[in-house]
Amino acid sequence: MSKTYFDETHTAIGHPKSTFMQWMLTIDHKRIGLMYAAVMFTFFFVAVATAFLMRLELLAPGQQYIDGDTFNQAFTLHGVIMIFLFIVPGIPAIFGNIVMPLMIGAKDVSFPRLNWFTFWLYILGCIIALASLFTDSGFADTGWTFYAPYSLTTDTNVIFTLVAAFVLGMASILTGLNFLVTIHRLRAPGMTFFKMPLFVWGIYATAWIQLLATPVVGITLILAMLEKFFGIGIFDPAKGGDPVLFEHLFWIYSHPAVYLMILPAFGIMSEIIPTFSRKEIFGYRTIALSSASIAGIGYLVWGHHLYTSGMADLAKTVFSFLTFFVAIPTGIKFYDWIATMYGGKIVLSTPMLWALGTIITFTIGGLTGVTIAMIGVDIHLQDTYYTVAHFHYAMLGGVVFLLFAGMHYWFPLVTGKMYDEKKAKIAFYMNFVGFNLLWFPMFIAGYLGMPRRYFDYLPEFQIYHQASFVGAVIFISGLVYMFYVLIQGWRQGEPSGTNPWHATTLEWHMPSSPPPLENHSKVPYVDFDPYEYKNGEPVVKFDYETMKRID
Amino acid sequence: MSHEYIPEIATDREGNKHEVQGWQDDFYGGKLGFWLFMFTEVMMFGAMFLVLTYYNTLHHEDFLLASSHLNRWLGGTNTVILLVSALTMGLSLLKMRAGDIKGSKLMIWATILLALIFLTIKGVEWTEEYERGVFLLHGELLASSSMPFGEKLFYGMYFTMTGIHGVHIIIGIGLMVWLIKRINAGLVTPEHHILHWNIALYWDIVHLIWVFVFPYFYMIGAGDVVAGGHHG
Amino acid sequence: MDKIQYERERKLYYKVLFGLLFMTALTFIQPHIYVAGTFVSQMVIAVIKAWMILMFYMHLKGDKLIGAMGAFSLALVLVFFIIVIAVDVTNFQFGAESYITSAPHAN
Repeated sequence: MSKTYFDETHTAIGHPKSTFMQWMLTIDHKRIGLMYAAVMFTFFFVAVATAFLMRLELLAPGQQYIDGDTFNQAFTLHGVIMIFLFIVPGIPAIFGNIVMPLMIGAKDVSFPRLNWFTFWLYILGCIIALASLFTDSGFADTGWTFYAPYSLTTDTNVIFTLVAAFVLGMASILTGLNFLVTIHRLRAPGMTFFKMPLFVWGIYATAWIQLLATPVVGITLILAMLEKFFGIGIFDPAKGGDPVLFEHLFWIYSHPAVYLMILPAFGIMSEIIPTFSRKEIFGYRTIALSSASIAGIGYLVWGHHLYTSGMADLAKTVFSFLTFFVAIPTGIKFYDWIATMYGGKIVLSTPMLWALGTIITFTIGGLTGVTIAMIGVDIHLQDTYYTVAHFHYAMLGGVVFLLFAGMHYWFPLVTGKMYDEKKAKIAFYMNFVGFNLLWFPMFIAGYLGMPRRYFDYLPEFQIYHQASFVGAVIFISGLVYMFYVLIQGWRQGEPSGTNPWHATTLEWHMPSSPPPLENHSKVPYVDFDPYEYKNGEPVVKFDYETMKRID
Repeated sequence: MSHEYIPEIATDREGNKHEVQGWQDDFYGGKLGFWLFMFTEVMMFGAMFLVLTYYNTLHHEDFLLASSHLNRWLGGTNTVILLVSALTMGLSLLKMRAGDIKGSKLMIWATILLALIFLTIKGVEWTEEYERGVFLLHGELLASSSMPFGEKLFYGMYFTMTGIHGVHIIIGIGLMVWLIKRINAGLVTPEHHILHWNIALYWDIVHLIWVFVFPYFYMIGAGDVVAGGHHG
Repeated sequence: MDKIQYERERKLYYKVLFGLLFMTALTFIQPHIYVAGTFVSQMVIAVIKAWMILMFYMHLKGDKLIGAMGAFSLALVLVFFIIVIAVDVTNFQFGAESYITSAPHAN
């Protein structure tokens, strides 16, 4: 029985004997990705519980369980955890780490010890973020956006959250840096940029955003702290400072951040669709370049979060135009995926179900984003439930659904086992139905005027909150059940073999399942495209001991 | 450490051999990684220049006036000191690559000395400002004072940016001391000097930032304020 | 590294040093000889100094990949940090009503 990456590992310092210390000190990208997943999903469920608490409170008008101030802290906590602790590290931290090096034929990332350090920096950030829950002043109540001047004058503990966001941002930057150098330096011989799998393109484009956009929010948080403690004046109107400047600086990062979330997810979609259509992807080059252009243009649209802040009309118009424009590369991807499926032999396994479900939910999320990109419409819909529904359809129905798709797709690779297919499909439908029932009524409620972040509301909105609550119950049950199915699969599932989906990309051509510590037995020479299928079967076949082609 | 790394060979279908780049012993990768990190510094200081540009456009005359009150000669001396320190750091790397380890360490010490002088002069400058009543949470920079908005914002950003730049100088000094220790331990050698290369790059970036900070704060008000006026 | 290459690089470092010292001197002379365009002149001098440092001290000359990445990052900073903000702020629509531009301290 050959050894897998669970049996042996490389460590940052020393040669620890205990299994626990081997996990704590491991520099193996596969183990690090798994540890990120374990921590991130724990915090994910904390944030889901916070959201459920809010839904419970909002089930009827008036106060039932928590007061208004606590409600403000609840949505701040929910946002901070979901964004900074979960979705920004997100797919890059888990699958960027585990799968990307395998896809390019590398033995690890370029800086494995930095990778280890980055993971623990992330943990430090998480601890600081949650520490403020236990201080006297309590968790911040500013919303995850920390707008000045309230964030600078509130009594609640904003400073811990700002420091935490800074530390987590540092971790994000270092991950992006590591991946950029890895993709530039460690591709297998023969693998040019246009022979890389599209997931790697997604991670590459994302890494640029992680690297260049995150420092802006980093310095913004420092400037906010300097304003609070040293009165430098730049956000304080009493000294001529402009609070709207904070909003601009904040969104200059936070808008590219949403592309940082979705690009790896689109990368996962680009992997799943060809595999389960048994066909080469349509428009490989366009999808690759659209990832790059979304990353580039995405830097220029941040103003659409600030239409109501008093910007010059000229600026609003430019931002609106660019926001419409950036939807085009995304649309191109969707058309390419659908064209890939056309004429293919569709296999409706669970990963494909999640991917197809996402095509529906992200289309809704994306299109509703385009509606509020219109300045006039946004004046009416800004800060209503419409916006909330839009970004949950995009982030939850886009990024997180594809993360779940990736989990089901790469499950056999990571664990060497297979989950129960029937149960996994039931979990999908529970999630899909619950999700739509939870969020779709909010489009209507928002259009009719229900404001976001409000603890109380007029009775005419109650029906929408009730529908959302039912959806929340179904959705949360679906989430719990899905994790149950996956965990059971890991503990008691059937061995899967190295390539159960008969996919083409390099991560499936491992000598053992799960993979060994050093990944491929030998680095292959890559003289083939990533998605070569003929009559529904992969063209390229390998001898797994020598990694030479035998087709 | 990684000195014994032997790269793998991949063979293509025609039988040609290709060397595989591993993560170990990747000099260019180490350079590339550090350059990427420095781009994050560019973005960070870039955002601060954004804040400056915003308030400069809103309150141009105030900015020129405040700038003219800064001590240009101390600032200029610091510019020359930093400039020379960039030379000494560069020479230390050159000597290391040429095998002159002793000379290399001497140059690093020279750089540290110049950096310390820079910080001292900065301290003198800040004390001067303090005595004029211009300092954070003090005198003219309080909300209650009658100093015009533009000047308050100028000085707020002046202390912020020179302060953060100063922190980077202190970090640089720390890195250089660490570098000397690594050289003494034989871990940085003429054959394996990526750490030295990157620390020299770091020092160059610290200098580069000052190249823009200095004129933006100290020199824009240097022209006759009245004549410099709207075109400044 | 052979002696000739060492000498060549050392001489280059000193040449750049004198170039930078000269530009610094220019920085101080400029306000006296060309008063009208101080801000732009100072920034131009700074850019020239930066160019010399990047190309020679930081060995960027000839490195295509890092040079391209640097150009991209710089373009980001320049285009929308400086230019977009400057354009937006010069078209400030609410100057008369905004406290920070119309209060007695606003100037």
